[in-house]
Amino acid sequence: MNASATATGAGDSAGIPRIAVLGNPNTGKTTLFNRLCGMRARTANFPGSTVEGRIGTHRAPDGRVELQLVDLPGTYSLSIDVPEARVCRDCLSGSLDGIEPNAMLVVVDATNLRRNLQFAAQVLLHRHPAVIALNMWDVARTRTSRVDPAELARRLGCPVVAVSGRTGEGLAALDVALDTVTNLPFGSDALIARLQKLPPAETTPAALAAWSDGVVRAATTETASIDESRDALIDRIDAALTHPLLGIGIFLAIMAALFAAIFLVASVPMDLIDFLFGRVAEGVRAALPHGILADLLADGVLCGIGGVLVFLPQICLLFFLVSLLEDSGYLARAAFAVDRVMRRFGLSGLSFVPLLSSHACALPGIMSTRLIRDDRERLATILVAPFMSCSARLPVYVLLIGILSIGKPAWFAGVAFAGCYALGAAAGLLSALIARRTILRGPARALVLELPPYRIPSIRNAALVTWDRANVFIRNAGTTILAISIVMWWLSAFPRVDGDARLQQAQSFAGRIGETLQPVFAPLGFDSQLTVGVMTSFMAREVFVSTMGVLAGAGRGADTGDQRVLEQVAGMARTDGTPVFDPATSAAALVFFVLAMQCLPTLAVTRRETGSWKWPALQFGWMTVVAYSAALITHAAVSMTLGVH
Amino acid sequence: MSVPTDRSQPVRIPLTQLRRGQRAIVDCSELTDLPEGDRCLLHAMGMHHECEVRVCRPGTPCIVQIDSTRLGISGEVARKILVTPIEDSPGKPGAPERRA
Repeated sequence: MNASATATGAGDSAGIPRIAVLGNPNTGKTTLFNRLCGMRARTANFPGSTVEGRIGTHRAPDGRVELQLVDLPGTYSLSIDVPEARVCRDCLSGSLDGIEPNAMLVVVDATNLRRNLQFAAQVLLHRHPAVIALNMWDVARTRTSRVDPAELARRLGCPVVAVSGRTGEGLAALDVALDTVTNLPFGSDALIARLQKLPPAETTPAALAAWSDGVVRAATTETASIDESRDALIDRIDAALTHPLLGIGIFLAIMAALFAAIFLVASVPMDLIDFLFGRVAEGVRAALPHGILADLLADGVLCGIGGVLVFLPQICLLFFLVSLLEDSGYLARAAFAVDRVMRRFGLSGLSFVPLLSSHACALPGIMSTRLIRDDRERLATILVAPFMSCSARLPVYVLLIGILSIGKPAWFAGVAFAGCYALGAAAGLLSALIARRTILRGPARALVLELPPYRIPSIRNAALVTWDRANVFIRNAGTTILAISIVMWWLSAFPRVDGDARLQQAQSFAGRIGETLQPVFAPLGFDSQLTVGVMTSFMAREVFVSTMGVLAGAGRGADTGDQRVLEQVAGMARTDGTPVFDPATSAAALVFFVLAMQCLPTLAVTRRETGSWKWPALQFGWMTVVAYSAALITHAAVSMTLGVH
Repeated sequence: MSVPTDRSQPVRIPLTQLRRGQRAIVDCSELTDLPEGDRCLLHAMGMHHECEVRVCRPGTPCIVQIDSTRLGISGEVARKILVTPIEDSPGKPGAPERRA
């Protein structure tokens, strides 16, 4: 991982033993990792790959054992050609830069031993000391067969410890086992003897399965007959959740509830953050003499970072709720249900979660495309993810729909909001289809997806995931977004002009750029003021609201919660006295903001995820062309309908 | 797809033709139509030659259970997986493919 990339040799730079944590997906590996490391973990990319992993420190309660754990990505096999397997192979062979483990912790699902042991055998062929964690022991105890960890240890040639990441059962024994194996030298006689118990590396899948079958038979005893009624019940639930009509209906209902919860619950902390940053900015202005430094801190740094951090509650809630859904086993069923729809657009069910996440923020949405195995499908998903209406568009929608709704019935605004979301999703899916038929040609990868067991989701786990993601977001706000804010402030604040805010905006570099580019936006009905608003929002679209507020003379710190701002912006006039926001221009501006790529951090993440500037350039160019064309058509259509020329 | 009637040969039908709850033995020897990546992934997920599957959701796409693992498989992959139904399991082999 980046943070540890400078370490060399086994163990970390402080000499703490390093343990690579490996396992199949859905074995509770991350839950066990979270149980061992708690908040002493962070997410980062593995060097030279787009695969994300976590690194953390574990201290035993008695303080005797201290380990660095590296949570490697879950994979079904070490020999398949997917990024997750490559990272695991590289780590075990010592070629993953700076992450050479002293030992391995192989997490296997005690309720699904036959398949898990095949992966464990591949891992144990590497000559690192190893411990097998027989996870989900609490669930396995209730099943029809009982595993004997001692017999399993004898068959595998390494310690086997029954644990439960969910309840914490068996962790003390796991500490002892890890402490013991980290003191074993690499390639010792005991480790070489272990190899003789395992099938050879070049074994066929069928022979590996037969070996695993033999070990399972020897190490388990049947305690009761199979409960077929339980399977039948799960069959019925699966049939409902994956039904082509009912399943999609349930999915839409859950998503509606999720977004309603995000917008309703997050509004209180969002208002609080907004208020706090406003008060701090006021305090800075009061404490410092009037001048560049006060403007930089108040308008550049605090307004810039505050304007982004205000969305942190929504992002945290989204990750928390999505983590609960994922943990419950539902999300995989939802991906399965929508696969049929997605395939019509050249995508698969695996693209569904990234596009769903992008409705809160495109940054986590694009990062979660790492789940998609097919490179072309992943690229197509990254390219279209910013079409989904993110939370940063909301203030703009509120302002423009508010202007369009003046004098209209109450239902108009609701329909317009729904229409914005639908337009964004439709444009994204159609763009994906075009990309998959042209530059990213190829059929959607056939879906083969594990549907994990239904479980009661862990609140603790979801909270830790949210904490981790919030840290990443805050770090981003403190670096990339801070830099953008300062650049934007400089463009808006210089050259200095004596006069009101409106004159400053008009004469600033940003204002001059707007004036120069106004002819480009003239066909959309945009005057120079609206052009300035659009131009300043190319870095971050939510800036549009505050820019228009300043231009309308509503003063600094304007937001859409203030009805006076809406009225003042709606009343803005062009130089000839006609309204800036006539119906055709307002509708065109709304369509433009639904479809345009106005988020520099998203472009930066696209660059990072694709490893090239070509893709963010294409993303920006395509979305701008689509937004401009759609806005042009909207302006012409509304003008024609209303008889305006 | 019709079901072979020659009793000297094991009856092999596409996975998509099994009924809900029916069990079958997988024949992976003819998965050559699938891309290498999908074939290896299926093996790694537990669907190896001669493993036993139970159909949880029939048709295309389908859901099958191998031991305690449930796999969702799209129609284009499931149609290429041939299986031999286990006679005493529920459902009848050779039923028309249900398009869900």
